Amino acid sequence: MSANSGNSEVLLRMEGIHKWFGKVHALKGVDFEVKKGEVVGLVGDNGAGKSTLIKVISGYHRANEGKIYWVGQEVKISSPKDSRALGVETLYQEQALAPHLSIARNVFMGREPSRALGFMDKQTMNNDSMEALAAIGLHLRSPDVMVSTLSGGERQGVAIARAIHFEAKMVILDEPTIALSVKEVQEVLDFVQELKEKGIAVIFITHNLYHVYSVADRIVVIAHGQELANMQTKDTSVDQISKIIVRGTLGEEV
Amino acid sequence: MQRLKIRPITIYGLNTALTFIITFLIFSIFTPDHLFLDPRNLASMAKLTPDIGVVALGIGILMIAGEFDLSIASIIPFCSYIFTQFIMNGMDPLLAFILIFPIGATFGLINGLLVVSTGLPSFIITLSTMLFWKGLLFGLSRMMPISILKYVSDTPIEKILTGQIGPVPIQIIWFGIFAVILGLLLHQTKFGNWIYATGSNQEAARAMGINVRMVKTVCYMIIGVLCAWAAVMQAVRLGSFAATQGIGFELKTIAAVVVGGTALTGGVGSMLGIVLGIFIIRIVENGLILLKAPVFGVEMFIGVAVVIFVLLNSFVNRRLVRLNS
Repeated sequence: MSANSGNSEVLLRMEGIHKWFGKVHALKGVDFEVKKGEVVGLVGDNGAGKSTLIKVISGYHRANEGKIYWVGQEVKISSPKDSRALGVETLYQEQALAPHLSIARNVFMGREPSRALGFMDKQTMNNDSMEALAAIGLHLRSPDVMVSTLSGGERQGVAIARAIHFEAKMVILDEPTIALSVKEVQEVLDFVQELKEKGIAVIFITHNLYHVYSVADRIVVIAHGQELANMQTKDTSVDQISKIIVRGTLGEEV
Repeated sequence: MQRLKIRPITIYGLNTALTFIITFLIFSIFTPDHLFLDPRNLASMAKLTPDIGVVALGIGILMIAGEFDLSIASIIPFCSYIFTQFIMNGMDPLLAFILIFPIGATFGLINGLLVVSTGLPSFIITLSTMLFWKGLLFGLSRMMPISILKYVSDTPIEKILTGQIGPVPIQIIWFGIFAVILGLLLHQTKFGNWIYATGSNQEAARAMGINVRMVKTVCYMIIGVLCAWAAVMQAVRLGSFAATQGIGFELKTIAAVVVGGTALTGGVGSMLGIVLGIFIIRIVENGLILLKAPVFGVEMFIGVAVVIFVLLNSFVNRRLVRLNS
């Protein structure tokens, strides 16, 4: 595993990212890096700038300053479309799926395979969506099942299967385990493992250090719009990270 | 592998079908001398229902996309007014008919652009455009009817829009054609999936690269075109422009579409349901009059019926969803 030199290749590098919202300086020169196939845990308190940072990557916000490199090439990400074109899939909690639509229609939402006159190729949609789910170990009854009838973990699975099917290079998971039962959390963590095994990089944003600790290769702590710590998971502990987060916050307030 | 598959999207249509059949049977049995089933009664319903029905098809699609359009109550008479003005100024009725479609679409485009650019609730925007166009129309027409009878009698347009094929009024055939085309659009095409996605979770749709503004605007334009069709169809049948054309359609279409299982919150509904909802409202209206309910009080019963049907719908849906999971 360690001999896999491809893994050390840098997929995403961000340098000196600044973001202002009016007078609020949300990101103060953040440097951030994700290697190919790496799982990076992004943690920090509310309002630390985690969400702003990933929204810059996913194209919802534009950085006021700073540079973004994708596989070594400088890129401009000015819309979600740009981000997706690079191979970044962002799965926001409750924003990834359309609850009233079937699994197949969700997997292919916005990218429906079609024939003449825009008619959907439903056969392909049904077969491919079930295949994509099976690939991450999720076996659901039928591609016609409405997403709102699925459990929270299964829904995350559908969104992740979609990312894999469209050959994402990096998946951003924004609080994927929030409001899930213990069993469902384990399902989602297993999905993250699947992504990693397929060589897909993951940015895992969470409040729950235990969830991220069990899957991340590296953990980055953000506080007050700056990077506070950046550690290999194996060199740290949940206790240590939690102390850094708390101390970082206190340190600024004093 | 081919187990019994329950398709959630068709389920909504199926339980409305049940309501439709029951409503149909009740009035068939209980109207005096089974008057409801009299061919003349059925023909008259087939002739009149499409006036509102054609427009309601578009309203249903728009509501699946999560928006409303109240302005149809003014777009219809306004299109009728423009059509009659074209004819009064010597234009060939067929040409006037063709020209009215881009005009109807423009009314829709204006609604769509206002809704997506202001971000205000479409209920408010289209309430405003309804009042605006109504005021302008009443000012221009002074609410006087304009007879076009001598211009359209025995013309091709009269046959196309108000003729008969055998005993069947052509209006109901046009309604069927529109329903099939829009049903295919809604259920079988990519654009249809974008409509559902937009109504179900706009943020998700946008995140997946769907241009939700375009989707909504196109839905408004479809309604504009349908309004143009309904306006001319009605004007030719009446032989006149009337400023009162389309009055009350804005709410009655919503009632029909909701009875057909469409959710007010978007993302839920089917073309079959919408079509049946339109017929159910019409059957209740017609049947009650045949039962000698006071004509001016019929709306009272329709109000009650709408609530009952919607309750029934949501009850059946909950049961089906539970079965499904």
